[in-house]
Order: sequence, then structure tokens, then C-alpha cells
Amino acid sequence: MPRAIFRSALVFGIVMVFSGLCFGQGITGSAHDFSGETWNNTNEICAVCHTPHNADATVADAPLWNHEITNTTFALYSSGTLDATMGQPDGSSKLCLSCHDGTVAVDNFSGTINGNEFVTGDALLGTDLSNDHPVSFVYDATLASSDGELYNPTTQNSGLGGTINADLLISNKVQCASCHDVHRSTNLANLLRISNVSSGLCLTCHDK
Amino acid sequence: MLRFSALLFMSLQPFTLLFSQSVVNTLHNLSAGGPGSVKASSESQVCIFCHTPHNSSPKAPLWNRPDPGGNYTLYSSSTAEASPGQPTGSSLLCLSCHDGTIALGNVLSRNNTIGFQSGVTTMPTGTTNLTTDLSDDHPLSFTYSSALAAADGELADPASLTGPVKLENGKMQCTSCHDPHENVLGDFLVASTRDSELCLHCHDKAFWSTAAAHRISNAGWDVSGNDPWFHTPYTTVSENACENCHNPHNAGGSERLMNFQAEEDNCLICHDGSVASTDIKALLTRPEIHDVFAYSSSHDPYEANVVSTRHVECQDCHNPHASRNSTANAPAANGFLLGVKGVDTDGNAVTTIQYEYELCYRCHADSPDKPGSPTGRQIEQSNVRLEFDLTNPSFHPIEGPGKNGNVPSLISPLTESSIIFCTDCHASNGSGAPSGPHGSIYPQILKYNYSTIDGKSVYNPFDFELCFQCHSETVIFNNDDVGRDVHEQHLKENTESGLTTCNVCHDPHGVSSSQGSPTANSHLINFDLSVVSSNEDGQLRFEDTGLFEGECYLSCHGEDHDRAHYKN
Repeated sequence: MPRAIFRSALVFGIVMVFSGLCFGQGITGSAHDFSGETWNNTNEICAVCHTPHNADATVADAPLWNHEITNTTFALYSSGTLDATMGQPDGSSKLCLSCHDGTVAVDNFSGTINGNEFVTGDALLGTDLSNDHPVSFVYDATLASSDGELYNPTTQNSGLGGTINADLLISNKVQCASCHDVHRSTNLANLLRISNVSSGLCLTCHDK
Repeated sequence: MLRFSALLFMSLQPFTLLFSQSVVNTLHNLSAGGPGSVKASSESQVCIFCHTPHNSSPKAPLWNRPDPGGNYTLYSSSTAEASPGQPTGSSLLCLSCHDGTIALGNVLSRNNTIGFQSGVTTMPTGTTNLTTDLSDDHPLSFTYSSALAAADGELADPASLTGPVKLENGKMQCTSCHDPHENVLGDFLVASTRDSELCLHCHDKAFWSTAAAHRISNAGWDVSGNDPWFHTPYTTVSENACENCHNPHNAGGSERLMNFQAEEDNCLICHDGSVASTDIKALLTRPEIHDVFAYSSSHDPYEANVVSTRHVECQDCHNPHASRNSTANAPAANGFLLGVKGVDTDGNAVTTIQYEYELCYRCHADSPDKPGSPTGRQIEQSNVRLEFDLTNPSFHPIEGPGKNGNVPSLISPLTESSIIFCTDCHASNGSGAPSGPHGSIYPQILKYNYSTIDGKSVYNPFDFELCFQCHSETVIFNNDDVGRDVHEQHLKENTESGLTTCNVCHDPHGVSSSQGSPTANSHLINFDLSVVSSNEDGQLRFEDTGLFEGECYLSCHGEDHDRAHYKN
């Protein structure tokens, strides 16, 4: 996380605590709250990613997208024991990677293409996704069966109220958003959707 | 109440283990909540000790631990066709904990090493710490190809590995035998070791799958001496199978992964009466033995059939993958000798002996550096293969029926067409002793007493106990009808000049056709030169003059024999 972002987040967080608000939940004050950044002349939280009008529909089902989209061809994860069919990141993962692959500036939104603010540190995945958990693959009962050590997503509960498929998959696919909530719906570190205490997040799907 | 709870817990434990499918319930859960004693002080994540969702190295399987790199001491064996290199693939990942060099809490995704309870850092010393010396562990990271299976000859074709044992990119790795996430069977094994099921997925030892004793015996240990099954939970020979002798990790004898360094120790820990019914170990304390204790590392399964460097180990005569308790009619080899190599009547190598003598011929025929005969004879021959050749003027019937078609002394059911074993004469003495030449109180590992002491003054049938097993003492000394006085005279009557022995005139093995003649060396005649010398005319010979008749030209016991005529 760029130090400036961290500092502003910290300041904001402190302010929120002292305001008597519940600290840690919601995008406000999260790592994705760029409203206080000097490069964000809109001073809006949402505008970095979204726009109510004239959104970029290049990526299917993109939610009113307002940020430049990466055109990287990524190196994909592969493994001798991988049963899923892998493809280039699609859907919401491609949107995440439009900042987190490091090829598109964070401030390239609302038509801006000459930004110079880039993701760094642990949040920078780069264009080589071969050392990252795979995304954008169909996770269905067939995959679970052929792998033998994955829960059936259509019957196994996610712990969030419904099945894995209902709660964590998008169009039957594992995406970045399966583990991470970009808007911080929980107060968990790394914007996780499910606590990884006792590896609870991993073991939601992995039946080792 | 407490005791009851403990009992309840213990009785439930096997079921818990049986159904503990999740890695969370195994010793590989190193989190603070893990079931084992080696675990983190406070870290709750289970997967983190091996995996990370981002920035993994190696990339697959999202690995989270440092590369041990390492310069491991590798397994090597004269019989290993594979050439294992330094560990690769998943094996290297396993070794990042199991070589004991990297802290268990050292993970890539954390700046600080995760702390462990009780001051544990690296893998504690014990069977799970393989160290960087892998020479005493089953080889890994080698390509297991059809070509390898064919070259070895006792490995299943890898295409047949459709069950729990899997290769990784065509290579045998730790994960071929172990599933790090599941420990239903113990030791995270992918298949049971009961009856060596796991081993047998790959190892297809010749003769094993038929009724090899080490595969089918239900013998148990009588709890005397050392536990032969110290690294398994099993209690019979058949259940232990391969592991009766072999240990896949931390083997006492690295080459071929033997339980013990000294070859015979692997056999005698059971064959001392504590598991096997016969006590071979006791027989080997006798004065005359095939001295398996005298040699170490001189036997090799791939050695030439004709032994070039004299030695003897249990494996020279017995194939533990094949051996079984079954009898055979001479000259066929019995089940105890199944699956061993030998040398045939022509001196050619045979991969698997058909006849017992073919085994003996490995060392006692064309092999160099044989000890000399205990009796210095007119015709010397230390190659027993030549002594028993069917073209010889006379021989004991080892390879086939004897030359003499008229042997009245033979005790029924023996006849002139009978064939006998080497081990009918050379075997452990004593009634009920296990067959085979393990140990005897008599020289040459003879099964019965056989005196070679010339000049005694009193006849004692015990002196010729060996001979009288087959040749009737009564008939030998029968003076009736054909007048067999030659034996009576030499062994019983000449008390003044001293009695002689069978051994002085007869060569118990035979006389080679290349050295002897049908006239001079029929009836195993081959004189002991320590007793018999030339007569006044310088002659030293026997002449066969027909049925039960012959003449001697020699000097013996001070008596000059010049055409001394005998009927026997």
C-alpha cells in the first residue's frame, strides 16, 4: 500500500473511531477508499471504479465500470494436480487486475490515461499469476468430483448463509471476489470475506 | 469417572483416526490447535505452514516455504536401475521440513518465523527427520518409466499404477507413497502397509505372488529376543511382508534398505526359533558351518553365477522373496531353494536353479580359491561338477543314476536308479535338524559321523554312520554266496596291522572321466595317499576284473599288494 494511502487511511480510521462509528467495516476508510488521495481530484470514493453513466461495458457484467481496463495477457497458474480448466482472468477479476497487475495506473479512471500512481507492495500481483491462487475457472460439482478434495459448491455451505456457489462464486466461477470483498463488508484483514483463522477461508472449499 | 472417560476416549480413538479425513485432524496441522505435540504457539492457520494464496514459491502448489536447495546424500544400490538425482518436485517441498534444516515456522508469507511450542524450531530428531542423508531412505525423484521397469525386471509397468500410488510428472516422489493431507492409514500413507500392499503396487518380486513363505506365513513372534517388527504395527510374517526385512526410511542397512546392516541379522532375528519354527541361528554356532558371519558386503545379488570371490551369505542359497516350505525329489531343488541362481552340469549359468546341485556348483565347482580336499588322493579334483559328471567311471548319483547297476547294499527304497541330494550327506546333524548344510558337529558339514581315521584297532559301526544310512552294514560285510570279504577284511579283521576306513579306498564324490578310467576307478576307487602307496614294483592301482571282483597293486599298512585279488 502506498504510504500516502496508508497514512490517509489511518487518519481517516482514527477520525472514524473518535466519531463513534464502528471502525473496520464498509469501504469508507478501507484500503480502497481513495477519496483523500491527492491524485483523486474528484475526492469521491466510488468514482475511481464506478460511474453512473457511460460506463465501460467491455468486460461482461462489469459493474458500471469507470477505470481503464488492463489488456495484459497473464501468465497463469498451473499444477500437475490442477483439475480445473484455466483461462485468462475474466469478469470481476479482470477489473481487480486493472489496478493490481501494475500495468494500469490507479488514477487512470474517468478517461484519464496518463496516471502515474501504481499499486506496490504485497497488493501488486503483477502480470505473472502463476504464483497466485487460480481465478476465473469454473468450480462446479464436476470439478469437485474429479479433484476429490474440493467440496461440492452446489451443496456445501459457505458459512455465510448459503452454498459456496451462491455466496462465493460468480457465474459458477472462482474470482478474486470469492475470497476478497473489494468494498470491505467484514473487518477482516486483506479484505477477506471469511476469516482465515484456523484456515477457515481455505477450508471453506478445500476438503483436504 | 476420570478413568472411565479415559477408557472411552481410548476406545473412540481408533474410530476418530479411521475417519479423520481432514488435514486439520492430522499431525500436519501445525497450528496452535493441531492434534500433535509439535505445533505453533499461537498461529491458528492450518494451511499457512505450506501454502499461500499469493506470491508462492514454487508456484505450484502455492508453496509457502523456503527451498532447502540442499546437497543430499542419495540412495545407491548395486541393484537399483534408476539413477536418482537430487530431490526435485514435491519431494523437495517435503524436505523443506523433513530434512530438519529449516524452521517449521519459516514461511514466505510472514516476515517473522512463526513460533512453536516447547522451543521447537526445526523438525525434532526422530523417524520423521530424515536429515540430509537420504542414503538410508527409499530413493525418490527418479523417472519411473516402462524402460526402468523392463531393465529392473521386478517392477510393475508404471502404466499399471492406476490406484493410490501415483507418479508426479513420471517421477516417483514422496507423494507417491504419502498424502500429506490425509492420514487415515498412518504415516500419511496412500495405501496400507499391511501385507505390504503399498510396496507391491510397484515392486513385483519374482515368485513372491505365488506362495512365498514370507508372504503367506502366519507365524508370530514369541516375544523372546529382539522385536523383529520394530517399525510396524503388525504381528505376523505375512502382515509384515516386505517389512520383515526392509525399512523404507532410516534403514539400518542402507543398500537395499535392510533393517540391519549385517545381512544375516535380517534373517536370524526371526530364524532363531522366535518366529520361524526352526532355529538356524543355533545351528550356526556349531563348529562346521557355512560361515555367514565371516563375510560382510561381499555378496551381491548381481554377482556372477560362478562365485569369483569366496563368501557365503544366507542369500547365496535362499531367495527370501521366493523361498517356501516344500519338498522335492532329487535332484530337483526344494522350495527353500526356489528362485536362486546356479551353474548347470556343463558349467553354464542358470538364472533359476532346477536342481539342487546347481546351487552347490556356484562355489564348489568352477569357482576359484576353493579349499583343498581333506583327503589327499591319487586323483585330485576339487571341482565337484567334474566329480559328479555322468560320463565318469564312477560317482555318487547326484546328477543322475549311478554307473553301477548292481549295488546289493542299497537300503530300500534306494535302488541303482536312485538319485540323491548333496544335502543327503552334507547337512546339519541331528535328528529333526532342518534340512540343508547350515551347521554340523562333523567336518565337511556332514549329516552323520564319517571317520577318516586310519589304523584303529576296534571296529565301530558309528565310524561309518554316514555310509550306513544308504549302504546296509549287514550286506556290506556279508560273507555268504558271492563272498564279500574285502570289506570284512579291511574294516573289521586286520586288527593287528590296523583297520582302515571306507574313505581310504573310496572317493565319496566320484572320479572325473578326464582323470580316471573305468578299469581303475570303478566303484569310486581313488586311494588316500596318506595311507596307500606304491608297491615294490612301483605300482599303485586297482583293476576292475568283473562283477564283484578286482585286483590291487599297491602297498598299504606295510602290506605289499601285488595282484591282490578280491571278491566283494
